[in-house]
Amino acid sequence: MIDFAFKNITRQRTRTILTTLGIIIGIAAIVALGSISEGINQYITASLELSAGKIIIQQRGSGGFQGGFAGSDITDDDLEELGSIDGVKEIVPMNLYFSMGRGMSFGPGMVIAGIDPERSEFLVGENIEMHEGREMEGGETGVMMLGFVFAEQRDLGVGDYFELKDMEFEIIGILEKIENPNVDDSASVNIVDIQELMGVDTYQMAYVVPFDIRDAEAIAEEIENSYEKLSATTPVELARQVGEIITQIRLFTLGIGGIAAVVGGLGVLNTMIMAVLERRREIGVMKAIGATKRRILMQILTESAMISLIGGALGLAIGALVVFGIVLASGGQLPAQVTPGLAAGSMIFALMLGIVGGVYPSIKAANLDPVEALRYE
Amino acid sequence: MSETVLEVQDIVKTYNQGLPNEIKVLKEVSMKINKGDFVSIVGPSGSGKTTLLDIIGCLMRPTSGGVFVDGVDVKELGDSELANIRGNKIGFVFQQYNLIQTITAQENVEIALRIMGKSKGDAKKRAKELLELVGLGKRLNNKPSQMSGGEQQRVAIARALANNPSIILGDEPTGNLDTKTGEKILNLLKKLNNENGYTIVVVSHDPNVTEYVDYTIHIRDGEIEKTTNGTTTNK
Ligand SMILES: Nc1ncnc2c1ncn2[C@@H]1O[C@H](COP(=O)(O)OP(=O)(O)O)[C@@H](O)[C@H]1O
Ligand SMILES: [Mg+2]
Repeated sequence: MIDFAFKNITRQRTRTILTTLGIIIGIAAIVALGSISEGINQYITASLELSAGKIIIQQRGSGGFQGGFAGSDITDDDLEELGSIDGVKEIVPMNLYFSMGRGMSFGPGMVIAGIDPERSEFLVGENIEMHEGREMEGGETGVMMLGFVFAEQRDLGVGDYFELKDMEFEIIGILEKIENPNVDDSASVNIVDIQELMGVDTYQMAYVVPFDIRDAEAIAEEIENSYEKLSATTPVELARQVGEIITQIRLFTLGIGGIAAVVGGLGVLNTMIMAVLERRREIGVMKAIGATKRRILMQILTESAMISLIGGALGLAIGALVVFGIVLASGGQLPAQVTPGLAAGSMIFALMLGIVGGVYPSIKAANLDPVEALRYE
Repeated sequence: MSETVLEVQDIVKTYNQGLPNEIKVLKEVSMKINKGDFVSIVGPSGSGKTTLLDIIGCLMRPTSGGVFVDGVDVKELGDSELANIRGNKIGFVFQQYNLIQTITAQENVEIALRIMGKSKGDAKKRAKELLELVGLGKRLNNKPSQMSGGEQQRVAIARALANNPSIILGDEPTGNLDTKTGEKILNLLKKLNNENGYTIVVVSHDPNVTEYVDYTIHIRDGEIEKTTNGTTTNK
C-alpha cells in the first residue's frame, strides 16, 4: 500500500510539490523559530548568570541590554556619586567596542569588552581557568585575553597580535572553554585601551555591586529615583524583561505554527479532495475488485500522511539549515540548535496536519458508491 | 446435478424509490447459474442488464429479493463482507476496461491480489502467469495507454481471474471493441470456460455473443423474456 501511495502522490507532480511546499515552509518556520527562541533563551540565561547579584547601570534611554548599550555615556563623576550610595561595595565600569571584524562579511561581527583587568571576573566569571597563557594584570595595557571559541574561530594563539583600528594588542591568554557563549566568545582588553580606541573618556555601562545581594533591589530603586540621567536594572528585573521577550518569541512561534497548520492542512485537504474526485472511477474499480471501505480510507490517509511526512522531513532539514546559518552568522554567539524534542515534535505535527487534512477526503472516498463511480464518465 | 454458483430469487430494483422519478428497473427476476456455465444476458439498451449484473456482482443491493453466491445469502452480509465476496468470488470485466492508467499491466493484476491479502512476491508471480494465460506475456510492463483496447480488455480479464473467482461477470466486454477484436475477446472467454472451467456471465446488447455461450437469457423491460440455447457446438 505504501509503494502504491507513493505512485499515487507523484501522479500530479506539481500539485503534490506545491502542497508539500506548504508543509515545508510551515515546519521549517517552526523548527527555525523554535530553536532560535530556545537559543536566545539559553544565551540570555547564561548572561544573567554572570551578572547575578549586580546592578547594571546605563544612561537612561540608551540602547539597553539588547542594544549593546549604544548611546550610553557614564562619566567618572557619575561613578563617584554612585559609589557614595549606602550599601554599595564597588562600581565596575565597562565599555564594549563593536567591530565588524576583518574578512567577516556577515553577522554582528565581534564585541571587544573593556574592563579593569583586575575585575575581569565581571566579564568571564569567578572560577575561570586558563587554557593557555595568563590573565591580564592590573594596569596592563595593549594586551588582550580571549575566550576559547573566539580564539579558535580566528585561529589565534598566545603571542599573536590582534589589530583593532590603528591599535595592536598582544594576546596573552586564552580561557578554557566553559560552554557559555558570553565567555567563550569574549575578547577583553583594558578599559583604558577601549576608551582610547573609541576616543572617549566615558563608560557605556557599569556594574554596581552591593555588600549584600538582598539590597540590590533597594539600591537600584534609589538610583532610579535620585539620578535622572541613569537607569538601574537588577538581574531579577532583567530576568523578568527577558522572560517577557522569550514569551513573545514563543507566542510568535506558536502563531506561525498555527498559520502553518491552517495553510498546510488546507493544502493537503484540497489536494486530497481533488485526488479523490479525479480518481472516482479508480476507487470504484478498487471496490469492485474487493477493496473494503477501510482499505480505501487507509489508502487515502496513507497518501496524505506521506505528503505531510515528506514535507515535514524537508521542512525539518531546511529549518535546521536556517538555524545553522543563523548560528554561523552570529559568529557562534547564539547557541541555537534543533533539539531532538523539537525535531520529533515538528514531525509529529506534520503528520498530524496530513492526517487531519486527509480525514474528510478519505471518508468521502471510502463511502463512494462503486456503481455510481463506475458509471461516472 | 450441477453445483449452483449463483442464484437470484425474485429480484426487484427500484431507483429513486419514493421520488417522482421512481423507476422500477428489475421486476422479480429469478435465475440460477451453475458451475462451468457460460451464459449471456442480452436485451435492448435500458432493459436493466447492467443493474442485474451489478446486483449479481454484489456491487449493489436489490430493493427486494435474494442473491446467493456459492449458497451464501448476501443480504445477511455487511459492507466489508460484501467487499470480500467481490474480491474472492467475483471477477468483473467492464466495457471501459477500467484499468488504472498510471501503473503497468502486471501491477493492475497485482493490485487485485494485494487487496485480497496476497504477498507482493506471490502477487507478482500470479499476475505474470495470468497475463500469460490471456496472451499478454510480453506486455507485462506496458501501461494501459501503451496498449490497444483488446489488450487492455485482456488485462482486465486477467485481473478478474486473479483471486480464482467462482464467477466472472462481463458487462458489455466487447462494447468498446471492433467486431474482430470483440470476437477474439469472446474466444478468450470461451477458452477460459472450456479449458479452465471458469463460470462466466456476459451481458450484451449485441446478439452475436449468443453464438459463443451455452445459453442466453433474454431480458426486456426488467423481466426475463425467455432463455435460449447457444448455437455453439463445441460444448
Ligand atoms: N442510478 C440510477 N438512477 C436512476 N435510474 C437509473 C440508474 N441506473 C440506471 N437507471 C435506469 O435504469 C434502466 C436500466 O439501466 P441499465 O441497467 O443500465 O440497463 P442496460 O444495461 O440494459 O442498458 C435505464 O432506464 C436507466 O436509465
Ligand atoms: Mg448496461
